[in-house]
Amino acid sequence: MIYFEKVSKIYKQVEGGTSEALKNVTLHIKPSEFVIVVGASGAGKSTLIKLINREIRPDKGKIFVGGLDYSELKKRDIPYLRRKIGVVFQDYKLLPKKTVFENVGYALEVAGIRPKEIKERVPKILDLVGLSTKINCFPRELSGGERQRVAIARALVHQPRILIADEPTGNLDPKTSWEIVEILQKINQLGTTIIMTTHNSHIVNKLKKRVIKLSDGKVVSDEQMGRYEA
Amino acid sequence: MHSFIRMIKSGFSSFIRNGWLSVASITVMVLTLLTLSIFFILNIVLNTGIKTIQDKIDISVYLNDNIQQSQVIDLQNNLAGMSEVKSINYISKDEALTKFKEQNKDNQKLLDSINGIDNSLPASLEIKVYDPGKLDKITTVIDAAVYKPIVMKISYQQNKEIIDKLFRATNITRQIGIIITIAFTLVSLIIIFNTVRIAIFSRMEEIEIMKLVGATPGFIKGPFLIEGTLYGIIATLISMLILSSILYFAAPAVANYIGGVGDSISNFLRDNILEVLLIQLGVGIFIGVFSSWLAIRKHLRFN
Repeated sequence: MIYFEKVSKIYKQVEGGTSEALKNVTLHIKPSEFVIVVGASGAGKSTLIKLINREIRPDKGKIFVGGLDYSELKKRDIPYLRRKIGVVFQDYKLLPKKTVFENVGYALEVAGIRPKEIKERVPKILDLVGLSTKINCFPRELSGGERQRVAIARALVHQPRILIADEPTGNLDPKTSWEIVEILQKINQLGTTIIMTTHNSHIVNKLKKRVIKLSDGKVVSDEQMGRYEA
Repeated sequence: MHSFIRMIKSGFSSFIRNGWLSVASITVMVLTLLTLSIFFILNIVLNTGIKTIQDKIDISVYLNDNIQQSQVIDLQNNLAGMSEVKSINYISKDEALTKFKEQNKDNQKLLDSINGIDNSLPASLEIKVYDPGKLDKITTVIDAAVYKPIVMKISYQQNKEIIDKLFRATNITRQIGIIITIAFTLVSLIIIFNTVRIAIFSRMEEIEIMKLVGATPGFIKGPFLIEGTLYGIIATLISMLILSSILYFAAPAVANYIGGVGDSISNFLRDNILEVLLIQLGVGIFIGVFSSWLAIRKHLRFN
C-alpha cells in the first residue's frame, strides 16, 4: 500500500544550516494494516506524514502509495491524490466558518459529489464517530475531543483506503484519547489502512499493533505487537 | 451545474460570515465609485459649461456700406468652404436695425434718438465655428487683401484676449479633472486590493485546509471571486443611492448659481441612470473580482 525506498528529507534552517529530518528510510505498509509511528519530538514523524500526503517532497529516495510513484506526480494532480487519502491533523484543521456538517461535507464537495448524496453520507459518518447531535454546531462550540471526531469524520467521509492520523490524541485527555483510538480501530476493522503517529506510550502499549520507532530521522525498530516507553 | 450553484452559495455564505471585512471592503469601494461618478459628472458639467460658452463665441465681420454684393457672396462662399466653419449668417443693414431695435426696445430714449436719421448700422456676416481654437485660421482668410475694401471690422479681434483666456482656463480645468480621476482610480484600486488581501490573509489557514482536503485551486477560488462580485454589486447600489440623493438635493442649489448647468446634471442623471448604473456596476465588479483574484492567486499554488 505504502512503500518508502531510501527516503531522505533535508530542511533548510533559518540560520543557514540544514537539518536532516529523515535519513535513508525504507519501509513497507501493507493494505488494512494499523501502524503506529512513535518517537520523540523532532524524530521525523510529522515529516513522514507530510511526505505521504504530498505536502512536501523527498530530497532523496522514492515514495509509492497505492502503486503511484510520487516522483511522477504532477502538481495539478495533488488535489486528486489527497481525495484518496484521509488525514487527521493534531490541530484538527477545521474550517472555522463552516458548521460540522459543512466541514465534513466539504471533503465530498471538492470531489464534486452531488448535494443529495452529501446529505445522505455526512450524517452516517457523524453517527459513526458519535457526533450526530452536533451536526449544526460550529467548531468553536465543540470540545477538543469533539473537534477531533469531526476531523476524523471528514478524513473518512470520502472512503479513503488510507487514513493518516498525526498525533490525533495530542491535545486530548486520556479518556477522550482512548475514545478516539477506538474509533480508529473500528475504521481499521472495516478495511482502511491506518497510520497513526503518537508519543503516548499508554495508548501504544494498550493497542498491541505494529510499531515503527523513529529516532533522529532513522527507523530504529519495527515490530509487530510493539511496545513503546517514552 | 451543481458545483456552480454550490460555488455561489458558498460565496454568499462566506460573504455574510465575514461580516466586518465585507463591510470594510464595500465601504472603500463605495467611496471609489462615488469619487469616480462625481468626477464623471463634474466633467459633464464642465463640458456643458464650455459648450455653452463655445456656442456664444463667433466672429462678426462688419461690412462697409456701398460695396458690390458679388464680393460679399464671394467671401461667404469662401468661408463656407472651410471645414472649421459651422454656419454663416448674412445680416443686412435693415436686419441689423431691426435687431438693434428689438434689443433696445425698453430704452425708448435711444430708439427716439435714432428715429428719422439714416441707418448707420453696418451689414455683417455672423460666423459660428466648431473649434474656437481655430479662429485664427478664419480671420486670416478674411484679412486677405482682396477683401480689404469690403471689410470694415472683425469683432472677434476685440474679444480675442478674453476668448483665449477662457479657453485656456477650461482646457486646464479639464486636464486637471482627468489627472485627478486617474489618480483616484489608482489609489482606490490599491486600497481595495489591500483590503481584500488582508481579508484573504486572515483566511490563509482556511485556504491551506481546503488544499489539504483535496480542493483544486479553481474550487477554492470560485467563492472568493463570487464574494468580490457581491462587493461590487452592493457597493454600486449604495453609491447610486448616495449619488441620486446628493444630486436630488444639490441640483436646485447648483442651478441657482450657474443657471442651466444644475438642471443639466439632474436631467443627465435621470436620462442616463441606466448607463451610470451599468458603468458603476462594471467598474465595481471589475475591481472586486480583479483584486480578489490578484490577492488569492499566490496562495493557491502547490509546493
